[in-house]
Amino acid sequence: MSSRPRFSFPARLLLLLAGALALAVQAAPVRTERVEAELHAERAAADPGKPATVGLRLRMDEHWHTYWRNPGDSGLPTKIQWTLPEGWSAGPIQWPYPEAQRVGPLMNYGYSDEVMLLVDLTPPADARPGPVTIRADAAWLVCKDICIPEKATLELGFAVGGGEARSSSGSASRFAEARARLPAAPAGWDAQSVIAGNKLTLRVMPPAGSAAPAKAGFFPFRENFVDHPASQAFVRDGNGYRLEVKLVEPVASDVASVAGVFVAESSWPGLPGRKAIELAMPVVAALPAIAAPAGVPSGETGGSLALALAFALAGGVLLNLMPCVFPVLGIKVAGFVRHAHGESRALWMQGAVFSAGVLVSFLALAGLLLALRAGGTELGWGFQLQSPAFVTLLAALFLLMALNLFGVFEMGLFAQSMTSDLSAKGRYADAFLAGILATVVATPCTAPFMGAAVGFTLTQPAPVSLAVFAMLGAGMALPVLALSFFPKALRKLPRPGPWMETFKQVMAFPLFATVIWLAWVLGEQAGNDAVMAMLAGLLVLAVGAWIYGRWAHSESLARLVFAAAFAGAGLWLAWPGANAAPQGQARAETARAGEIDWQAWSPEKLSALRAAGTPVFVDFTAAWCVTCQVNKLVALNREEVVKAFADRGVVALKADWTNYDPRITAALAELGRNALPVYALYLPGQSPPRLLPEVLTVSLVLEALSGLPAPKTAAAANLAPR
Amino acid sequence: MKRALPLAAALASLFAGAALAAAVVGQPAPDFTATDLAGKPVSLAEFKGKTVVLEWHNFGCPFVQKHYKSGNMQALQKKYGGEVVWLAVNSTHAGHQDYESPAQLTKALAGFGAAPTRFVMDEPGKVGHAFGAKVTPHMYIIDPSGKVAYNGAIDDKRSTDPADVKTSKNYVVAALEEMKAGKPVSNASNAPYGCTIKYK
Repeated sequence: MSSRPRFSFPARLLLLLAGALALAVQAAPVRTERVEAELHAERAAADPGKPATVGLRLRMDEHWHTYWRNPGDSGLPTKIQWTLPEGWSAGPIQWPYPEAQRVGPLMNYGYSDEVMLLVDLTPPADARPGPVTIRADAAWLVCKDICIPEKATLELGFAVGGGEARSSSGSASRFAEARARLPAAPAGWDAQSVIAGNKLTLRVMPPAGSAAPAKAGFFPFRENFVDHPASQAFVRDGNGYRLEVKLVEPVASDVASVAGVFVAESSWPGLPGRKAIELAMPVVAALPAIAAPAGVPSGETGGSLALALAFALAGGVLLNLMPCVFPVLGIKVAGFVRHAHGESRALWMQGAVFSAGVLVSFLALAGLLLALRAGGTELGWGFQLQSPAFVTLLAALFLLMALNLFGVFEMGLFAQSMTSDLSAKGRYADAFLAGILATVVATPCTAPFMGAAVGFTLTQPAPVSLAVFAMLGAGMALPVLALSFFPKALRKLPRPGPWMETFKQVMAFPLFATVIWLAWVLGEQAGNDAVMAMLAGLLVLAVGAWIYGRWAHSESLARLVFAAAFAGAGLWLAWPGANAAPQGQARAETARAGEIDWQAWSPEKLSALRAAGTPVFVDFTAAWCVTCQVNKLVALNREEVVKAFADRGVVALKADWTNYDPRITAALAELGRNALPVYALYLPGQSPPRLLPEVLTVSLVLEALSGLPAPKTAAAANLAPR
Repeated sequence: MKRALPLAAALASLFAGAALAAAVVGQPAPDFTATDLAGKPVSLAEFKGKTVVLEWHNFGCPFVQKHYKSGNMQALQKKYGGEVVWLAVNSTHAGHQDYESPAQLTKALAGFGAAPTRFVMDEPGKVGHAFGAKVTPHMYIIDPSGKVAYNGAIDDKRSTDPADVKTSKNYVVAALEEMKAGKPVSNASNAPYGCTIKYK
């Protein structure tokens, strides 16, 4: 006789409870054609009368997206219908900030990859403790280039806790992440809007002590109001900003207030971890006049686009004189001389192809930088020099080029254009490659001298940036292009002869000089030992180059093998390894007599000093920034300036960006800059710092400090009262 | 800096892709010439003096399917077919997976019992761009004098559920009835809903 064991009623109830709590905070995911949907609860149980947050997590297949509350030109926002126990109420969906998704001539606002929509559920105040089941019927539209309406029913085992509601593990971080993506509602922001015809202007001013982001985009809540695909013009206005947005016609006439979300490109100033804020802007009749952006000395705002382009062109022409570029150009021009005398074939074609090579390289570089920045990487111009590996590579490249010019070995570019008669095709390919090479070797030279201007350009909208870079390339190619158009001018130069060989070898010396400079930069970055390693490695590399050149006429494979072996060994030796001690942060700045006592910058130190009411001068600098070194020489290390700093009690902080430091990158972004040098003077009681121009003079610095209280000089103290 | 902005905006618009013009209510409708399913030319000018309804169309879009599966669109086409010229326009470009050839479309239309006066094949997207058509279904009504009388959604329920058709207010019907009665169209312009038109 057997009897089945039966569970008593209390046991069954217990099992049920346990089961419910085990299901607890997550219902099983529901998989639709393109989306995986899950319902999560932040905590295992809710308190009666108090809201508890649940989240609908949608994970879209790659390239598919769902929509925001205002889906834009097409689409459908996600909807949730709740089936709750009696007395429970559900709040509205809390939408994370969206991304703008362009579809041809149209624009949608939505989410890709994954999104968690938060909703607050509140049990009634008289809810009895125990398990409950929550049901959500969610419906959404998921699109790639076609659209599929989908829905899912999700159930969540939940509970009303008698006392303290326990939080669940694992969910906490997910909910924290979702909350961080909600637009914040910070206090003290003053914003208005004005509608004129089909233009909406939004004016947003931060509260005292806060800053506005360098750039932000606007996502309106109201549908069919804003022309979604039209670009929005962002302009600084005093401490805040203005955004000009195009509206669809006919413009709605009943608008009393414009509400929406502003999304910055990185974290919103003053709100760490948050990228977006939500604002409601009442419509007013007129806005006050635009104020000059605070903290930027007048005349330094960059001028009009035409001025920027002219400056870029001039800068490009100047690049030709840099030790990096001059040799390449010199050789190219010398090559022209040969052709000008030798044949009447259209020389200008070669010049044009060379210029094309330069232009293409500049645009590619700019495009790459912009793409990286758009992807969220915090980069500044000259960033490439923050990598010891890159500096080493550049040094190796320049050494090889110099050895080539010396005649240690012959290779492609320079040899052919100066000696043999190539087919037209070969010459053009050679010219194009020369253009690319010229640009590559020019980049380390642009960073030191043009870093600030180029960095400023990168904060402009993409077409402006690309135009400025194109002008830079055009300027650099201009001399060669001009010469190629006027072979007569070339004929004025002496006929080809032995002088060309001398000229070629002389050009090697500026390249050696560049290698020395790069070695110094590496020393600042990675210490003396790294420089030793690099120089030793370069020596071995030189041996490899010599082998390649010495037996150039030999057909044997051994030559190549040995050359490659030495070159490889050299590079391996030179490569900054893990033992390369990053000197940047750890360097102890010993105050030398007669120089400003620089302390290491950190955001905490800055806040502490400002809170104490001390005037602070921050120098954002780097070893590879030549303008910074010049400013030190010319202004900051001068006796009068050092004295003024000491007398007025200004604390000097040095933010050293020789090596990559994300804190400095973020601090620069908050000041609206991304390239060096940057000099920020924080005066007590004033909120945004005063930014000094990139080129300093003694009088400029003294004038900036003059606002501070006059020093109590010894002479004054000794003045006997009359 | 202020001078740079309009230029920058102009430059940016070049990168923004071809912008859409718009058929604004009260303005003359842009003329167009395209071909129909049989390959014959069809232009707006040939319907001068008549009321014309334009229906932007794409069977692959769930919003359009809502109106065809429920029989809503076909019913409208039949009801007003005698009084107005009902032009269904398809601006899907040939490379998109929603594209259907004229032969396939003829078959599909017959299968649904659809009866537009003419069906305009706008594969290059010129007609769509001229009207600023954004989504399917995007509805326009042009009055006999050639001016745009309605530009917007087909009804007031933005959804893909065919059951919603019964309970929604149809804007096209309302507009056509008002025009018949000689009254001005009360809701002449609103936000159309649907899937984006698959332009080139």
